[in-house]
Amino acid sequence: MSKNPFLLRAVGLLAVLALVAAACGPAPDEDDEAAPDPEDTAFTWAVTGADGPTMEAVADLWNEENPEQQVELELLPPEADDQRQAMFNDQVTEAGQYDVLGLDVIWTGEFAEAGFIENLEDMRDSVEGTSIPGAIESAQHEGELYALPYSTNFGFLYYRTDLVDEPPETWEELYDTVLEVQEENPDIDGYVGQGDSYEGFVVNYLEFLWSDGGEVFDEAATESLLLEGDHAEKAITFMRDAFEEGVFAADFNTMVEDDARLAFQAGDAIFMRNWPYAYPLLAGEDEDDPTEVADDFDIAPMPAFEGAPVDTISTLGGLNNAVSTLSENQDVAREFVEWAATDDGPQEILAEMQPPPTKASIYENYEDIVPEDQAPVYEVLNLVREDARARPPVPGYNSFSLAVQEELHGVYADGDDPGPALEAVNEAAENALVEDPEDVIEEEADVDEDE
Amino acid sequence: MSERALGRAFLTPAFVVMGLLALFPIVYAAYESLFDFDFFTRTDFVGLANYVDQLTSPRFWSAVFVTIAFTVVSVTLEFIVGMIFALIMNAAFKGRNVTRAVILLPWVVPTVIAGQMWRYLFEQRPGYINEWLGLGAIDWLGSGASMFWAVVIADWWKTAPFVGLLLLAGLQTIPNEVYEAARVDGATWTQRFRNVTLPLLTPSIVVALLFRSVDALRIFDLADIMTNARLETLSVLAQRSIVRAPQPDIANTLAVLTFVMIMGIGLIFIAMMGRDVVGEPEEGS
Repeated sequence: MSKNPFLLRAVGLLAVLALVAAACGPAPDEDDEAAPDPEDTAFTWAVTGADGPTMEAVADLWNEENPEQQVELELLPPEADDQRQAMFNDQVTEAGQYDVLGLDVIWTGEFAEAGFIENLEDMRDSVEGTSIPGAIESAQHEGELYALPYSTNFGFLYYRTDLVDEPPETWEELYDTVLEVQEENPDIDGYVGQGDSYEGFVVNYLEFLWSDGGEVFDEAATESLLLEGDHAEKAITFMRDAFEEGVFAADFNTMVEDDARLAFQAGDAIFMRNWPYAYPLLAGEDEDDPTEVADDFDIAPMPAFEGAPVDTISTLGGLNNAVSTLSENQDVAREFVEWAATDDGPQEILAEMQPPPTKASIYENYEDIVPEDQAPVYEVLNLVREDARARPPVPGYNSFSLAVQEELHGVYADGDDPGPALEAVNEAAENALVEDPEDVIEEEADVDEDE
Repeated sequence: MSERALGRAFLTPAFVVMGLLALFPIVYAAYESLFDFDFFTRTDFVGLANYVDQLTSPRFWSAVFVTIAFTVVSVTLEFIVGMIFALIMNAAFKGRNVTRAVILLPWVVPTVIAGQMWRYLFEQRPGYINEWLGLGAIDWLGSGASMFWAVVIADWWKTAPFVGLLLLAGLQTIPNEVYEAARVDGATWTQRFRNVTLPLLTPSIVVALLFRSVDALRIFDLADIMTNARLETLSVLAQRSIVRAPQPDIANTLAVLTFVMIMGIGLIFIAMMGRDVVGEPEEGS
């Protein structure tokens, strides 16, 4: 080594960098006040860390009201895949650390089918008529409740009032409006949204599909209707044309929620599809996050295609709370789930912060509950919530979603042939309805042999 | 007990630990790849059916192609630039230590951070690379061949210094006398490089190429971060199968196939070029 002091120094440099990195990390145990007394901790609620402060406020409220049965909040990573993985690990290793699971609305079928969550059908009376219908729909598996609604999310159209007089009511109108505005302002992007190959793209694609009257499944979720009519192809070819013609921003195909929000907020786009969270930021709520459009934007329901049976559509997001089958604290876990769904306390916290609540009465009386600067959001939410649709929470939703991401992203962004891609998505949709597609194929083969 | 037997006895615990740590997961994955899975539960023994599925799947072969193309292109580029770096770092000049540190900086940056950084540079908004190079609106990360090149460039930047470091270690073992003798004989720089440096550096070159090829065949992080897994290499496909799908049968099968491929390529390397490297006592330490 003495021959090569340089290598030694390189190693030393690495060691110093590692120390610096360690020193920059958060100091442990600074914020311990909110933590419940471990002796009174009755159960654990595992939920996304994406809206951490809201979840903390809800957990704090429960702890205030239930000093004997404290909830411990376990904030999981903000990425959906990572949350799901953490919950899987808890189940597969039978650790059973989580009593209440905050499930993304699309996971109900998968978790129920796998036997990870309790059937909550006997609690239907407490949410029927109280929670909004789309949220209840998303908490069901084979017609029975396996979770109770908690939070929701709607997409709507943000548009620039300085460039557009009236928000477009149809996609065709939006397309033409973009081209017109771009004639005057050649540098401005048209439409931004969620176009990267991830779940957000599936949300956006389904809105195009549904807003032409297309469907993925029939009402009872027994067969795929994706290729009925030409809706599926019309939706993806509209996206392709819009992307190629520059009606969609050139980087639409790599955008997630915040990329779209930042582009719109910088004044670079005419239209945006996004969730309600963007509204206060665009209005200039955060001083460290400057906005160019504070006085020049408004929101409206999403457009639909001309001649479609619907006027607007929105894919629902949000969370439902389920009770883990491994939980040893079933009673209090169920109590918490019901409280979070139906009590005004937690639901009003959601209304004051983010994401939006699922309790219908809050939408009816939003003027008394939500902060004034949020009122326009609830005005539009009230217009779209009747037409909002849950993504079908079938057992194989995940593989259906992956097929949409893998097959259809290339069709609109890379000019792949839509025919075979839609065939593949349709096959994935069919397979998503059954427990284990391979078993069914084998069973069918057996039947053939018997004949 | 003879001294030899005693030596074996003392070595046994170390080998057992190594075997458990390194071998067990591989063998277990291979074992599990022979079963069907219902979610995370092992169900029926299906023999090699999972392998038949994968080896007849166009998606698998496309991932193999992407992985091998990435390896060949990136390792070639990294080798060329790494060699230049090594020669610079080896030359005696004022400010050599600063130059060495600067050259090595990219290698010190963690890959996830390098990936985020390159993603930001390649993105169309704000579009640094397109603007700097005057390229207009090139869609680097969204699709097609351009995202392959974007990931190659990021990997090139990140690991050429590592190749340079390995080659530098080799260069430093070449005694100066050999160069002096060559110079006395009137050899030009090119002749010295070709007839002195390259032959004496061969062991280091083989080690560098072996390390980099094996590493490049596992490429996952940059592809996942920069293209959101659209650039589908073998490791990306395996990760998607276990985390996003989750289909442990497919993931195990892919992991085993990837292992076999990397192992095979590594062995070919060693057999073809590296006979003199393996088993030869290390020089100059």
